[in-house]
Amino acid sequence: MGVIEAQELRRTYKTSTGTFRRKSLEVEAVRGVTFAVEPGELFGLLGPNGAGKTTTIKMLITLLIPTGGTARVLGYDVVKDAREVRRRIGYVFGGERGLYDRLSGLDNLRYFAELYAVPPREMRARIGELLELVGLNGRENERVEGYSRGMRQRLHIARGLLHDPPVVFLDEPTIGVDPVGARELRATIAQLVAGGKTVLLTTHYMFEADQLCDRIAVISKGEIVAEGTPADLKANVTDGRVVEIEVFGIEDAAVERVRTLDGVRSVNVEPREQAQVLVVQTDGRELTHALLGHLDGAQVGRVSAREPTLEDAYVALVSES
Amino acid sequence: MRNARLVFFGWFLNLKMMMRSAFNGVLSVVWPMFFATTAFFMYRAGHDQHTLLFASLGASVMGIWSATSTSASSVLQRERRHGTLELMAAAPANFALVLLPISVAMTTVGLYSMIATLLWGHFVFGIEMHLVHPLLFVLAVPVTIASVGALGFLLSVACVRYRSAWALGNALEYPVWLICGFLVPLALLPAWVGPLSWILAPTFGVRAIREAALGGSPLGDLLAAAGLGAAYFATGVALAEVVLRSARRTAALALS
Amino acid sequence: MSWSLRVFFVGGLLSYRALFNWLTPWILIPTFLVAPIFQILLFAYIGRSAHLQSDEFYVVGNALQYTSLPCLFAMANMLADERWSQTLGILLSSPASRLALFLGRSLPVVLNGALVGAFGFVAGSLLLHVHIPASAFAPLALVIVVTAVSCTGLGLVNGAIGLRVRESAVSSNILFGVLLVVCGVNVPLDELPGWLEAIGRGLPLTHGIQAARELTDGARLGDVWSLVATEAFIGVVWGVLGCVLLRVLEVESRRRATLETA
Repeated sequence: MGVIEAQELRRTYKTSTGTFRRKSLEVEAVRGVTFAVEPGELFGLLGPNGAGKTTTIKMLITLLIPTGGTARVLGYDVVKDAREVRRRIGYVFGGERGLYDRLSGLDNLRYFAELYAVPPREMRARIGELLELVGLNGRENERVEGYSRGMRQRLHIARGLLHDPPVVFLDEPTIGVDPVGARELRATIAQLVAGGKTVLLTTHYMFEADQLCDRIAVISKGEIVAEGTPADLKANVTDGRVVEIEVFGIEDAAVERVRTLDGVRSVNVEPREQAQVLVVQTDGRELTHALLGHLDGAQVGRVSAREPTLEDAYVALVSES
Repeated sequence: MRNARLVFFGWFLNLKMMMRSAFNGVLSVVWPMFFATTAFFMYRAGHDQHTLLFASLGASVMGIWSATSTSASSVLQRERRHGTLELMAAAPANFALVLLPISVAMTTVGLYSMIATLLWGHFVFGIEMHLVHPLLFVLAVPVTIASVGALGFLLSVACVRYRSAWALGNALEYPVWLICGFLVPLALLPAWVGPLSWILAPTFGVRAIREAALGGSPLGDLLAAAGLGAAYFATGVALAEVVLRSARRTAALALS
Repeated sequence: MSWSLRVFFVGGLLSYRALFNWLTPWILIPTFLVAPIFQILLFAYIGRSAHLQSDEFYVVGNALQYTSLPCLFAMANMLADERWSQTLGILLSSPASRLALFLGRSLPVVLNGALVGAFGFVAGSLLLHVHIPASAFAPLALVIVVTAVSCTGLGLVNGAIGLRVRESAVSSNILFGVLLVVCGVNVPLDELPGWLEAIGRGLPLTHGIQAARELTDGARLGDVWSLVATEAFIGVVWGVLGCVLLRVLEVESRRRATLETA
């Protein structure tokens, strides 16, 4: 049985527009997401902004009630047995929020320790261990408002681990953190899994998912468009090639013509200074000539071909849905 | 036992946080004093020491209510903005027990205002402070704070769901001052106000404080205040479960 | 010239809607409708309890005083919101005329204040059975508008203060309280200590309230003209001071980069 099981999860939001005549709109943020995470696994949910990653996580940690589908964590239903779920999970999210600025790091941890019902006898020792784990020893008596972004993130992680939960949810934990700090954070995350915890990580950093995760699910516009180990996902693209064509002013019609060409997997237009670059993923056939043929009328600059990377796989997946 | 720790610790840390905001602290003391000062000027024209002391004691409790009503609703907005509201909701502890200490801490800050108003009335307007039952007075103050804090807690539970409830909280400031007889004897208000005032703990808190100072029997009022406080808490606990579930359904816990 | 007018009208209105955030009934009703009624009732009853002035005295005083609430808060909030959404820097570095910009933003504030004041007047009189002669309606409306204008002038100064200090709510509340005490709202000016009375005479509201009281007692507009003019003048002076302060702040912030964060 999976530690985390999501079955056809759906979540719709109602928003309203206008000031005097309010119209309500329904936005379906998550549209039937199904996956399972095994014990001791580091599972990545990868997708662009607005794909539904945070919404999915919030449903799993009982903060949102799904509008459809079910989910279980450690066998407990996230809607009916919310309390049981909360006792066994840790939730860490990236960004500036989630801590009391005017209190010290230590006071923040003590407060949340009370919330998470950490036994008083163990509290001091646990907090000490966690401060050491995340590298905040000696800074715990300073007010959080003076912490750097990286320090806040580390305090967040310490907070999420206070009650030693077997399952940890990390929502974009390295966002906005400098490269060195982010690297340390990732090392800490890897350590968690090595210690036996099950971790679900959301991120939009491709290399992060590649580096850390045992398995990845790519989510785009509320649906899972691919699932597998990083190696599996790469395999989907290694037999192809990527052709990059620099153009100066291309019409949408031309892009569409290229897209319909036999052997073309996906086409993306990326702006680059004065020009645009047409990134075409092909299935390996020699298509450069045909591609250029379809671009008649547009001014063409450099043309190059290369091996695809995991990032290309990701871009292809999230842009074609 | 663990619950008691949670409540006490929560109260202590929230109080600590609030004391660190000098500006808000100054405002919570100064704001009710404008109204108290106006009332003192008005009552002074009547040259009646007894009425002035009556007004002074009532005015001192105004700050306790203001601290509660204006912040109970907006503190949750602050938690929401901090991103900590979600964390509280996702924690295994009973949400009501996490909220209660915040409200009581807010109300405790009103103590500054109470002392300041009494001193102001004494030194600036020459209102003589006599305490007939000093011990009961000292008891009446925390009982009032706790019961008004519980009312604040009930208010904040209602606000988990509504993001603009701070406006409602602000608007409740004046009505309680009027209806609970802070500055005006209840006898002067229309008869139908009476029953309304009896379900509001501040009515009994003010009465207890007055009786303790001016002579009378505050114990009955203290019991009423305590009883109401317990009732608010119980209602709040029940409401919290319902409200939280609803907030999870409509995604009202987060800002984004 | 017409461009400035557009900045004046369109810019003012749009920014009001976008930044003021008060346009839901959940906020409008408690803040602008419920609260002033209770302020009027509170002081009317204190007046009755202390056997002082008539109910009419308190209705006029408090209805007009409450006009200052939107005027003070709105300006401060608008400027603070501009700073928060970091559009203030963009605004001030745009070529639009400063005067048109800020006057334009003041227009909806004045309107807001006047409406609140009028509502308080009507509701308070109805609730407390205060009779206002029909001939006084139009002149009273004028007094309310003029008072709103002068409070908005004070609001500009408040807004400037709010830019310098991080929390504008504090100064708005304090100014509101000061107006309550010294402008003859509930306590006649001659009952205040001399120095407080002097402060009161230099602030908005005082002359407007006096004019309104005389009007409700049956005076004609011609009788109170000088009071109304004084009120307007005081408002303009505060408004100019506010604009000057904003300019000073702008210059200072360019030197010390305080515009975005203070």
